[in-house]
Amino acid sequence: MRRALIAMGTLGLLAVAAPALAQTWQIDAAHSTLTFTNTYQNVEYTGQFRRFTANIAYDPSDIARAKFDVKVDISSLDTRNSERDHAALGPAFFDTAKFPDAYFATTRFRKTADGKVVADGELKLRGVTRPVVLEVQFVPHGDTATLDVTAQLKRLDFGIGTGQWADPSMIGDGVTVHGHLLLHASK
Amino acid sequence: MRLRSTEAGWGALVRAFHWLIAALILAQGIIGLTMVQMGLTPAKVRVFALHKSIGVTILALVLLRIAWRLSERRPADPPAMPRWQRRAARAVHGSLYALILAIPLSGWWFNSASNAPLVWFGLFDIPGLTRGYAPFWKPRALLLHQTLFWVLVALLALHVGAALWHHFGQRDDVLRRMMIGPRGQTGEGP
Repeated sequence: MRRALIAMGTLGLLAVAAPALAQTWQIDAAHSTLTFTNTYQNVEYTGQFRRFTANIAYDPSDIARAKFDVKVDISSLDTRNSERDHAALGPAFFDTAKFPDAYFATTRFRKTADGKVVADGELKLRGVTRPVVLEVQFVPHGDTATLDVTAQLKRLDFGIGTGQWADPSMIGDGVTVHGHLLLHASK
Repeated sequence: MRLRSTEAGWGALVRAFHWLIAALILAQGIIGLTMVQMGLTPAKVRVFALHKSIGVTILALVLLRIAWRLSERRPADPPAMPRWQRRAARAVHGSLYALILAIPLSGWWFNSASNAPLVWFGLFDIPGLTRGYAPFWKPRALLLHQTLFWVLVALLALHVGAALWHHFGQRDDVLRRMMIGPRGQTGEGP
């Protein structure tokens, strides 16, 4: 009886200590991109944020314990058009003087009916926090993995280019964000 | 109305090309000089888009005009015109053609190197002349576009000055035949 109690107590301690996170991963920045597509004067263009950091904890066999925490340096925006980039960082758009970084954190991972993994999370961008759903594709290759995530955002939800710039025929409202990350397993 | 040019004067098509392109160039010069002073607003973006659309239109019209000119004769110069004036006129006309081709092309080049959209009057997308963003060529293309514009302004001053001199000084047909076509031809109205 006493032994049994000790055994149960030990198991209980292990259970408390165990919410050790899932496998964590380091981003290989040289082989990872954070891009987005949008339209300008109804012509599609692609841009990217060259600097971002992320804490990635992910185990495909245990997505309940997965967690992404991402920080994006907005001033690293590059749409291959210097005038557009300069304007985009200004007060009418991203306003990096006031809001230099964007943050994204997952709150829950789940599987959809067709077996895809999605993450619910919150994006804080230009001082506005909104729920965002991320489609997640994780492909492990031993000690490395590729992680592709996609989200659909609306720029006007975050107050990016409101007022005279709200017209979607000038700048489309819908933005598709795509992260392609090469990961190395943390030791 | 006679479509083709004759010994005595310019046909209707050449005159239409001349005055239509002249009007577009005048509008383009005013728009171009104004738009660069504008603050960044959606209106500025729309005025730039208009400038690009008119520029592409001029380029297309000039190509059609050159093709048409190659297919027909040139009216005779006034008999009293000395040889140096004929040569000077041909040199100015040839340079004007070269400029009104090169200016829209250099604008298109600048736009391409800037990775900016080019949608003809919002209707269809025109591909770029560079492989996307070309920061090395961008300032060079802009400098070329602006320099050629001011060369055009100088040559147009000569061209307009010469036309007025023919009309009011020489009192010959040179300006009139570009405005109202050949005079005194059989089958033609007054």
